[in-house]
Amino acid sequence: MSVLVSGLGSSAGIEAVSNDTADIATSSRGLNAQEQDLGLTTIPIAHDGIAVIVNPDNPVQNLSVDQLRAIYAGEVTNWSEVGGEDLPIQLVNRDEASGTREAFKSIIMDGAPFDRRAAVLSGTGQVRDVVSRTRGAIGYISMGFVESKYAQTQVRAISVNHVEPSEKTVASGGYPISRDLYFFTKGEPSDEAQGYIEYVLSDEMDDQIREAGFIPVSNDAGEGM
Amino acid sequence: MTSVDRSDAGENQAPRKRELALVSRSTYLKEKGLQYLFFACAFLAVVTVLLIFAFTMMQAAPVFTDIGLANFFSFTWAPTEGQYGIMSLLAGSGLVTVGALVLGVPLGVGTAVYLTEIATDRVRALISPAVDLLAGIPSIIYGFFGMVIIRPVVAELTGGMGFGALTAWLVLAIMIVPTITTLTIDALNSIPMGIREASYAMGATKWQTIYKVVLPAARFGIVDAVVLGMGRAIGETMAVLMVVGNAPVIPESISSPVSTLTSQIALDMSYSSGLHRTALFGMGVVLFIISASLVGIVRLLSKMRKG
Repeated sequence: MSVLVSGLGSSAGIEAVSNDTADIATSSRGLNAQEQDLGLTTIPIAHDGIAVIVNPDNPVQNLSVDQLRAIYAGEVTNWSEVGGEDLPIQLVNRDEASGTREAFKSIIMDGAPFDRRAAVLSGTGQVRDVVSRTRGAIGYISMGFVESKYAQTQVRAISVNHVEPSEKTVASGGYPISRDLYFFTKGEPSDEAQGYIEYVLSDEMDDQIREAGFIPVSNDAGEGM
Repeated sequence: MTSVDRSDAGENQAPRKRELALVSRSTYLKEKGLQYLFFACAFLAVVTVLLIFAFTMMQAAPVFTDIGLANFFSFTWAPTEGQYGIMSLLAGSGLVTVGALVLGVPLGVGTAVYLTEIATDRVRALISPAVDLLAGIPSIIYGFFGMVIIRPVVAELTGGMGFGALTAWLVLAIMIVPTITTLTIDALNSIPMGIREASYAMGATKWQTIYKVVLPAARFGIVDAVVLGMGRAIGETMAVLMVVGNAPVIPESISSPVSTLTSQIALDMSYSSGLHRTALFGMGVVLFIISASLVGIVRLLSKMRKG
C-alpha cells in the first residue's frame, strides 16, 4: 500500500475528501456546521494538547484562560498586566486554515474576536521559531512540538489555570486546551483506506503516536472507533 | 504535402528568370505558414490576458452583488465575520511598495549610473553578471533570506518580532534592483555620446555631466524603469508573505505586522470558499487594474519619449 500525504491544513484536507480528491482527511478539528452535511465518517485517532508557549527568558509561569483570552483579544498588551516584566506582548497567531487556531479559538476565545494586529504565521515551526527568538512573544502550538529534536532554540510551555500541559493532564482532561485529532473519510472507507486506518489505530502505532507528542486514542477504554 | 511536392517539382522546370522574380510555391507557403504561426504566438498573449481578466472578473462578480462595494472598500478584513474590506490590505500594499521604491530606486539607478558612466570594463564585467544573477534568484529564496537573516536583525533593532513593512522594504529593495538597473542602463546607453562630449567640452566635470545632462536626458527611461520596478514590488507575493506578519490592519509602526493584497490572497486561497473566495478574486481584479495602469503609464511615457 502506498500513502501520499500532503499537508495543507485541516480545512483543505476535509475539502479534498469531500470532493473525492483524497481518501482520508487528517484533521486537528471536528467538522463545522457546513461540513456536517458532507456525509463524512469521523474517526478519532489521538488526543492532543495545545501548549501556550513563551520565550524561555520570560518569567511568567502561568496564565488563566481568562488572561489568555484578554491577551489574544488585544485587551492586555503588556506582560506586567499578567505578572510579568514591563514588556509589550508580541502576539503570534495562526492562519485561519489552521486546526490549531480553530481549537484555540473555540476553547479559549469564547466568542471574542482575535486581535487582528497579531502576526499571522502559516506553520507550527514558524510560530515556534519566532517565539523562541523574541523575548516578548506568545504563541500556541501543538504540545508535541514544544520539545523539538531538530530546533536549536527553545520555547517554554506555560501552565494554564495552574495545570501543566502533559500527557497525563491532557488524557485526564485536567489541562484546559486539548482537542482530538481525526481521520475523515467520505462515507465508509474503502478497503485500502480501512486497512491504513486500522494500522494507525493499532497498538504497535501507539508508541509512534506518543513519540510524535500525541496521546493515542486506543488507550482510553470505551472510546476508539 | 504531396501536392506541394508536385508543384515544387513543376516550379523547378520553370525558366531561371522566374526564380529570381518569385520564390517557389513551397517556399511561399512555408513563409506564409510561419507568418501565421508567429501571429498565433503573439495573439495568444492577448487571448490569455483577456481570458484571465474575464475569468477573474466573473469569479469576482458577487463582490458587487452579494458583498457590496461599501463592504469591499472598508477597512476591516475579517472573512469569518462577513467583513471583506480590502482597504487595509491595499494600504499595506501601498506602504510596502512605496518604501521598497524609496530604498530600491536610488540603489538601482545608482548602480546603473556607475556601470554605464563610471566603471571600468573590468569592474563592469564583475558587477553586471551579479546584477543579472540577482534577477534570477527565485522569490521564495528572497523570502527565506528575509525571514531567517533580515527579520532577526530588524527584530533586534526595533524590539519587536521583526515582521512588518520595514523588513519587506529591505527584501523588496534588493529584489527590484535588477529590474530598475537593467532598464536604466538601457535608457542611459540610448543617450548619444555627443551630449556627454558637449558637456565635457563646456568644462563640466563628470559628476556635473551625469547629474545635469545625462540623467535629465534619460528621465523618461528612468521613470519607465521605476514604474516597472513598482510593478514588481506590488505584485511580489511569496517573499512578502514570509516577512510582513500578515495582520490585515493599518500598522501602528513600520515594524509591526501588516498584510498586502497579494500575500493575503496567497494565505487564504488554500482554504477559502464562498464569498471569501469571491473577495480574493475581487482583490485580484484590483491588482489587475493597478498593474494595467502601470503598463499604461509606461506606454504613455515611451510615446512621450519618442514624440
